[in-house]
Amino acid sequence: METHLADFIKDTAEGREADAILRACVHCGFCNATCPTFQLLGDELDGPRGRIYLIKQLLEGRPVSEKTQCHLDRCLSCRSCETTCPSGVNYYRLLVIGRGLVEQRVPRSLAARATRLLLTEAVPRRWIFAPSVRVGRLLRACLPAKLAEKVPDIVTAKPWPRPAAHRRRMIVLAGCVQSTLTPNTNAAAARVLDRLGIALFEAPGAGCCGAMRHHLHAKAPALDDIRRVIDAWWPHLENGVEGVVMTASGCGAHVRDYGVLLRHDPAYAEKAARIAAMTRDVSEVLASEQEALSRLLRESGTDRAGRRVAFHSPCTLQHWQQIRGVVEGLLAAAGYRIVPIADAHLCCGSAGSYSISQPLLARQLRDNKLAAMTASAPDVLVTANVGCQTHLQSGGTTPVRHWIELIDERLNGVC
Amino acid sequence: MSLDFSTGDPRFAVDRPALIARLSVVLPADALLTVEEDLRPYECDGLTAYRCLPSLVALPENEAQVRAILRICHELRVPVVPRGTATGLSGGATPHPDAVVVSMARLKKILRVDPFSRTAVVQPGVRNLAVSEAAAPYGLYYAPDPSSQIACTIGGNVAENSGGVHCLKYGLTVHNVLRVRGLTIDGESVEFGSAALDAAGYDLLALINGSEGLLTLLTEVTVRLTPKPPLAQVVIASFADVRRAGEAVARIIAAGIIPAGLEMMDKKAIHAVEPYVKAGYNLDAEAILLCESDGTPEEVAEEIVRVVEVLDNSGASEIRVSQSEVERLRFWAGRKAAFPAVGRVTPDYLCMDGTIPRKRLADMLEAIEALSRKYALRCANVFHAGDGNLHPLIMYDANQAGELERAVAFGAEILELSVRFGGTITGEHGVGLEKIDLMAEQFASGEIAAFHRLKAAFDEDGLLNPGKGVPTLARCREYTLARAGTAPVTFVAPKS
Amino acid sequence: MIDTLETLTENWADRVAETADRGGTLAIRGGGSKAFYGGPELGEPFDVRANRGIVAYEPTELVVTARAGTLLNDLQAALAEQGQFLPFEPPHFSDLATVGGMLATALSGPRRQAVGAVRDFVLGVKVLTGTGEILSFGGQVMKNVAGYDVSRLMAGSLGTLGLILEVSLKVLPLPAAEKSLRLTMDESGALDRLNRWAGQPLPISASAWHDGVLTLRLSGAVAAVAAAQRTLPGDALADDEATVFWSSIREQTHAFFAGDAPLWRLSLPSAAAPQALGATLIEWGGAQRWWRGGDAQAIRAAGAVVGGHATLFRATDAMKAEYGVFQPLSGPLLRIHRKLKHAFDPRGVFNPGRLYPDF
Ligand SMILES: Cc1cc2nc3c(=O)[nH]c(=O)nc-3n(C[C@H](O)[C@H](O)[C@H](O)COP(=O)(O)OP(=O)(O)OC[C@H]3O[C@@H](n4cnc5c(N)ncnc54)[C@H](O)[C@@H]3O)c2cc1C
Ligand code: SF4
Ligand code: SF4
Repeated sequence: METHLADFIKDTAEGREADAILRACVHCGFCNATCPTFQLLGDELDGPRGRIYLIKQLLEGRPVSEKTQCHLDRCLSCRSCETTCPSGVNYYRLLVIGRGLVEQRVPRSLAARATRLLLTEAVPRRWIFAPSVRVGRLLRACLPAKLAEKVPDIVTAKPWPRPAAHRRRMIVLAGCVQSTLTPNTNAAAARVLDRLGIALFEAPGAGCCGAMRHHLHAKAPALDDIRRVIDAWWPHLENGVEGVVMTASGCGAHVRDYGVLLRHDPAYAEKAARIAAMTRDVSEVLASEQEALSRLLRESGTDRAGRRVAFHSPCTLQHWQQIRGVVEGLLAAAGYRIVPIADAHLCCGSAGSYSISQPLLARQLRDNKLAAMTASAPDVLVTANVGCQTHLQSGGTTPVRHWIELIDERLNGVC
Repeated sequence: MSLDFSTGDPRFAVDRPALIARLSVVLPADALLTVEEDLRPYECDGLTAYRCLPSLVALPENEAQVRAILRICHELRVPVVPRGTATGLSGGATPHPDAVVVSMARLKKILRVDPFSRTAVVQPGVRNLAVSEAAAPYGLYYAPDPSSQIACTIGGNVAENSGGVHCLKYGLTVHNVLRVRGLTIDGESVEFGSAALDAAGYDLLALINGSEGLLTLLTEVTVRLTPKPPLAQVVIASFADVRRAGEAVARIIAAGIIPAGLEMMDKKAIHAVEPYVKAGYNLDAEAILLCESDGTPEEVAEEIVRVVEVLDNSGASEIRVSQSEVERLRFWAGRKAAFPAVGRVTPDYLCMDGTIPRKRLADMLEAIEALSRKYALRCANVFHAGDGNLHPLIMYDANQAGELERAVAFGAEILELSVRFGGTITGEHGVGLEKIDLMAEQFASGEIAAFHRLKAAFDEDGLLNPGKGVPTLARCREYTLARAGTAPVTFVAPKS
Repeated sequence: MIDTLETLTENWADRVAETADRGGTLAIRGGGSKAFYGGPELGEPFDVRANRGIVAYEPTELVVTARAGTLLNDLQAALAEQGQFLPFEPPHFSDLATVGGMLATALSGPRRQAVGAVRDFVLGVKVLTGTGEILSFGGQVMKNVAGYDVSRLMAGSLGTLGLILEVSLKVLPLPAAEKSLRLTMDESGALDRLNRWAGQPLPISASAWHDGVLTLRLSGAVAAVAAAQRTLPGDALADDEATVFWSSIREQTHAFFAGDAPLWRLSLPSAAAPQALGATLIEWGGAQRWWRGGDAQAIRAAGAVVGGHATLFRATDAMKAEYGVFQPLSGPLLRIHRKLKHAFDPRGVFNPGRLYPDF
């Protein structure tokens, strides 16, 4: 596409990067077809091709208002468009640059700022978030429906495996939200890996991976989150720990970006890059142990096989990390039957804090996703990210679980 | 910056505030875009070299709203530009400075899929691929498959009479649409075709197909669904020179084979797509042919043997046959993503669309090679070879002064050559804005005048998609004189 | 020959202009094989058969261009020599049938449902308009979207938009194998089966049901026909018996078509339920149904109600005049028709009333 970047940005590093991205877009419109917001709203401005154009206008020095801001806010950052784009347009990078500029130019209302503050400050902090959820649960009966569905059930975790003297050890991120809402996920991962001879542990003090603040443009605090995580993990990694296992694909996608995010911090750049390289999604870890896993599955007496499973692959798994078909393969190998779901590439609407900032769209996407997942009446609904899990859960009665729990049940029986 | 309407057509004296006031009554607030910040992203379709800021954009979500918009525009003499999802490559949906762009993207309901009668009734904004997805549970699909099928709309397909990689055997849009409901510019409902195989009177359905939004606004389409063949396999043949590949195409047809698809890509195209799809194309080949066979397993086996034999005798350096459905789809994925994938190796391209007799394919390829040197611009070739439909992708850099003009002149020469070879300037992308001057290459003034009379039978005031499809006679004369060397050539100046 | 033919058509152009000038009308006539079809022939008879001959035929391009006065038989013989054919199997109704008449009436034969109609194979035309202009539309290539598709518009226009001089058609290789099957079945059973089969990838190229007997024809690759024959019920017909049968359907020499009772053609959605209107012969998988006699108004209504239409195919002039040959058009459509007629033949020289009485 032809571009004429304005003087204010033309010769900056960001400007050059943005220009290269813009120029790669040939305006074919393929991406609109797989963009959740374009599919819902049918306005060019709510699809990637239009957002690219809006950002182009901004970079070309044309005036920008809350209109552009609104369309950029509606973007889920799901990156489905990037998976689709044959021309290799790095949309998300451009979006980050564009949002940054809009944030500087278009002031937000007081209420909007307050919500954002709450999200950036409260959710990533376990000591605030967990008690709030508990209080919320007690009060749910008295809350209006709209708020009540946002207050999740608390699932109690089944026990972690007894510490064993495995030679192989891996770190798992406890996470800010997951540890409160779905504590069984890490426990199940630990039990499964334990059977494979790998000890999994949560390093104390790591806290939130920083994704929440990052996506809300709280740049400095988000980087502080990362540094804290690195500080918490580094001693272990130096001490023979094999790698980092992510059980929430949202956090996984972010941790894998640490190297890029801290590349300008001389004290942390190298560590961040190494951690990013050592991080894998739990599905990838299991896939690399497929042989041993298959053996264990054969030996395991508890056979819940044949159950029909609908798996929603989170955007952070399929689009951000480009991991596709791996979870499905593992579940199939464990004897579950994967039912195909329509529009599997579409976001469920959770998208970090999206369900709070864009409740209408989030709910529509969630309901569409649940309808697609339950269309052929499967026995179980699973996903791979705590955000999607709780978001989907809020829209239906069938429990939505993390897929690792199914592998755990096959190996270790239902406790 | 204020909107500049001074460039508009003097025929349309649009009172914009009055128009906005009237439209706001019939459309919800989020369905009418009026400020430049919102309008700018609508300034072009898939042909980004041609841009124009629209006066307004309307986003109706049902037929009643479309009718209301048309009535108002008709009454106030405001032109209307229909738009699907703007994947068009000829500027058919490029706005007009005085016009309301009517986006049909929100009319995207699949109203009915009837497996028994093998038909689907859909709104015009439904994506091509969505129809096939909806029909899939019944073992049926919608046969025309433009490479843009993931994104383009059925309304756009009808308006352009779009083809696809399988239309050699299964036909173009016009062969697969039974009935279209439209609104004339004064908002009156008309039905072309019928629920049966034909309709009484003139074959207006055939006329509507490929009419580029100049005759009516389409609001509902009934398409024919085709049973999915039990098996399809694709043969990929690599060639060490393009001439041989071109000749192989003619030989396959000469052998009495009508493959389900017969496509060709040259080296530049192969190199652009392979990193994206990882289809496993032969990167050393100068050209590859994709030849698909479908039907019963016995039938496919029989045909593949014959195809392989012809390809072998035509000097193919490597022949592979897809061994699974996954592999077959991967082989096609590269072809389908070819245009945008070329965006990886060039910031901009112009996609030509001439069609020539198959026997001239090799000559044309050589001519393009020579033109590429003459204009010092690279050109990747992607062909619907079985139909003789060429898509040379002329690569240029819009940020470099003069390159677009060179690319346009390069393209014009290819299309003139297409006409000279006994073909046409456009096989499936339409004339739009892009090829309007070249119409004079293909038609004399008598035919052009007849086209104008035909248009007037539907839209007397010329309000639907003005400036597209058919040049004014004055413009034809200008162009003809220019080509004869007596006046300077001026192509439609792409506006920035 | 070419020269003289060009002079000929130029003379024709003069004649048309001259006729228009004095307010006359012309009744275009080829071999007269389909003169019975449509409204009456009004105007000075204009025999167009002198303009004949195949202009270009390249089997490897799958395209043939012929002058409109060419005998359909001659064209088909030339194609057959190269192992090719007109896939839509046009009916002749007489050995005198011409290519122009084929296009103007746009009647297609038994293979229509499987492969398409005349209009689906038209690539280009040359016509002489009512103002005496000779215009060319479309071309000789498979795909062409430059300008409006006037070529296909000519199909079925019954000469009312202009005198067709030349037509380019897409042709196809003859199927490698063909087999016909016959089974007994009642009407609703036949309609049900035909629709179900059409939803499956079967090479059914023709179907005809009459009087409790369903006949199917399979065409395609040897393997495909053999495979379909194994899955479909019915007894195979001897090849020559099959040829005779399908010809009798196409040429309306089958006993069903004999006699003077009016013949109606109903073009319906293939899945439309059986219509209890009289003696029936069903073709095109249910999409074309022939009726003998019956109440005209009821037949018209029956067609319209299911989204199709009825044509009074063969009848006395009096009956045609009373009920009209073709299904009446809605207001907006009729307006468009009139304006289109005006666009090509502003002074109404050609075949007035042949399609609709009012133009
Ligand atoms: C990468 C790529 C590959 C392509 N491959 C092919 C291919 O293989 N074959 C092919 O034929 N084309 C191809 N195209 C071109 C394009 O996709 C088609 O022309 C398509 O039919 C356009 O559909 P659209 O919905 O995008 O229409 P638009 O581009 O929005 O509009 C196209 C034209 O249709 C009119 N129109 C749209 N909707 C309506 C309506 N409801 N009523 C009246 N008029 C309407 C518009 O005014 C305009 O003139 C390709 C394009 C791209 C970008
Ligand atoms: S798919 Fe890629 S090249 Fe095409 S419009 Fe979207 S971002 Fe641009
Ligand atoms: S990231 Fe997701 S929501 Fe945002 S533009 Fe891309 S596809 Fe659409």
